[in-house]
Amino acid sequence: MSLIHIIYNWIDERIDLKTLQAKLLYEPMPGGSRYAYAFGSALLFIFIMQATTGILLMFYYAPTADHAWQSTQYILKELDYGWFLLSFHFWGSSVMVVMVVCHMLQVFIWGAYKNPREMVWLAGTILFLIVMAFGFTGYLLPWDQRAFWATTVGVEIMDKAPIVGDFMARFLRGGPTAGAQTLSRFFVIHVMLLPAALIAVFSLHLFFFRKAGPAGPFKATRQQLETKMEFFFPRQVFKDIVVMACVFVIIAGLATLWPVELLDEASPEPTDYNPEPEWYFLFLFQLLRLKMFSGEFGEFLGAIALPGLFVLLLMALPFINRNPERHPLKRPFAMSAVVFLLVGIAVLTWMAIASRSQ
Amino acid sequence: MMLKIKSRVRCSDREVGEVSRVIVDPIEKSISHIVVLSDGTERVVPLDGLAVVTEGLVQLGYPSSKMGQYPFLERGNYQQVKEVEIAGLERRLEVFPGEALVPVPTLERDITRRTFFTNFTNAIGVVLALPLVYPVLRYLTFPMYQDFNNNWIKIGSAQNVIEIDKPRQIKFQKTVKEGYLEREFQKSHWVVKISDTLREEIYHGKPIEYKDASGKVYWINKPDPDVVVYSGKCPHLGCAYKWKENHKRFGRVFWCPCHLSIYDPGGKVLDGPAPRRLDVLPMRLTGAGEIEIIDAEFKAGKDHPIRII
Repeated sequence: MSLIHIIYNWIDERIDLKTLQAKLLYEPMPGGSRYAYAFGSALLFIFIMQATTGILLMFYYAPTADHAWQSTQYILKELDYGWFLLSFHFWGSSVMVVMVVCHMLQVFIWGAYKNPREMVWLAGTILFLIVMAFGFTGYLLPWDQRAFWATTVGVEIMDKAPIVGDFMARFLRGGPTAGAQTLSRFFVIHVMLLPAALIAVFSLHLFFFRKAGPAGPFKATRQQLETKMEFFFPRQVFKDIVVMACVFVIIAGLATLWPVELLDEASPEPTDYNPEPEWYFLFLFQLLRLKMFSGEFGEFLGAIALPGLFVLLLMALPFINRNPERHPLKRPFAMSAVVFLLVGIAVLTWMAIASRSQ
Repeated sequence: MMLKIKSRVRCSDREVGEVSRVIVDPIEKSISHIVVLSDGTERVVPLDGLAVVTEGLVQLGYPSSKMGQYPFLERGNYQQVKEVEIAGLERRLEVFPGEALVPVPTLERDITRRTFFTNFTNAIGVVLALPLVYPVLRYLTFPMYQDFNNNWIKIGSAQNVIEIDKPRQIKFQKTVKEGYLEREFQKSHWVVKISDTLREEIYHGKPIEYKDASGKVYWINKPDPDVVVYSGKCPHLGCAYKWKENHKRFGRVFWCPCHLSIYDPGGKVLDGPAPRRLDVLPMRLTGAGEIEIIDAEFKAGKDHPIRII
């Protein structure tokens, strides 16, 4: 018996390692493994990479208004491979948003949010919000003009919420306008609160998923489910790793081809910079330009009511849509709604990009 | 149904043995087969419509001669339920191995005492947490609300603004103390030398009163001076707007690059989502023609100006 076996057995005798391992890996998946199921694992992988690069960045980054920009420049311009780690972190956030949307779309199309997986979906929508909050708070940290103005406008939007809006906006900014205190607050939210929240809600997400079990294909006979059945390990784990490797290559490629470049240091005087949020918030940004969302009430509609309603709808989805049918072609309303939404977001994003030169 | 391990198994003609194991279907998450131990061999028998389970007995609806059609158990093709993860199986599996009991500790049998300790634990938790709420809230909200600064700041000379109705951006340095950090940065506002038409548009013949949070007037802009100063912050969502000499539709306008609000040189909204006209800042001219302002900021997105700094 090899030394590894001796150690393994010694631990197993004490904590029942074999059962633990079995519970983690030997989950029969009706209908077998698929690449379509890899999005969740890919997201976990990106989060681990973001946490790793984030921790590395914190070795040099100084979260104060008088040094944030300089320390970011130091990481980018002077440190060995600093540009790569920062660019990887930057592009990682974009890819993470794309992956979250892919993951949600896959679950939506597969009808996998339906009974008994409502709580998995609910935890998932909270994770989606946490990922967006990561993007929003991280965007300020380089403390350049782009960062400062996206935050100034973004928090101003929160201010439009009724009753609590003013308090929430001041709370986030740590004052009546964006400044040094805002940077401190966004930093602690980005590196402490959100990671803790993400890990907690992700654990719930996984726990709920394991309790409800995998949904499997939306269309299969009993015979097919049984003959194609596989454990999670090793075939699905293999497919997950393949997707993770692709994701890694894509993020590393983006970081190498388009490394982060800082604009001038943040200042309440934007000179010739035209403020704009990160691309995945562009559709919201464009929405607020529409005539129908003008004026105080219009702004409330466009900035708070509409996005708020969308999030509520997302959370309520498995409770509103109780039809157990999972085949996408037999759910024409749900499918057209999602196509309409995606096209709407694409058109708004395109409009925002097209009007840049104006 | 109450399927028991060791239940007797009887065919229509005679008893053939006992249930030694059960086999679970991972898709249906229920028992699909029983393993019948008969004469020292184990056969896998489906638990279908031909099997009736009663207390301690499985009655099969065929004679014992048919038992031979069912395969022997090949143990290597199966795993124990605890060796895999099948969601929700424990709740649905109804195999009854008999009760194994452990006594409730004597001290735990007194429900009243248990309730007392539970409530007391919760109470201590609340007593610990409550006094922390207020200090923590104060700690976190400390910088959120600040007194307004009504100091006059020199931003430039009115003599530099020559052309009538043509706005000029005036940049100035401002020192701001945020918490422990004192920083100097550049800010800018727009100054316009106004014609009488613009004067009428801005003042409507009346002075502009500036009130603090309590409603007390701290300054009055009289319509007399030839210049007005607009806050550089767009009243829509707080971006910095710009001056355009040749806008495609409106000609000479203030234009905000963020959400495309457009204002005429008098500050009136011509197009876009802005909820109110540009904010005119409290201003005075010194004897030497220097422009001095109170660098107030107003909340964006409201239909009337609410001062925040």
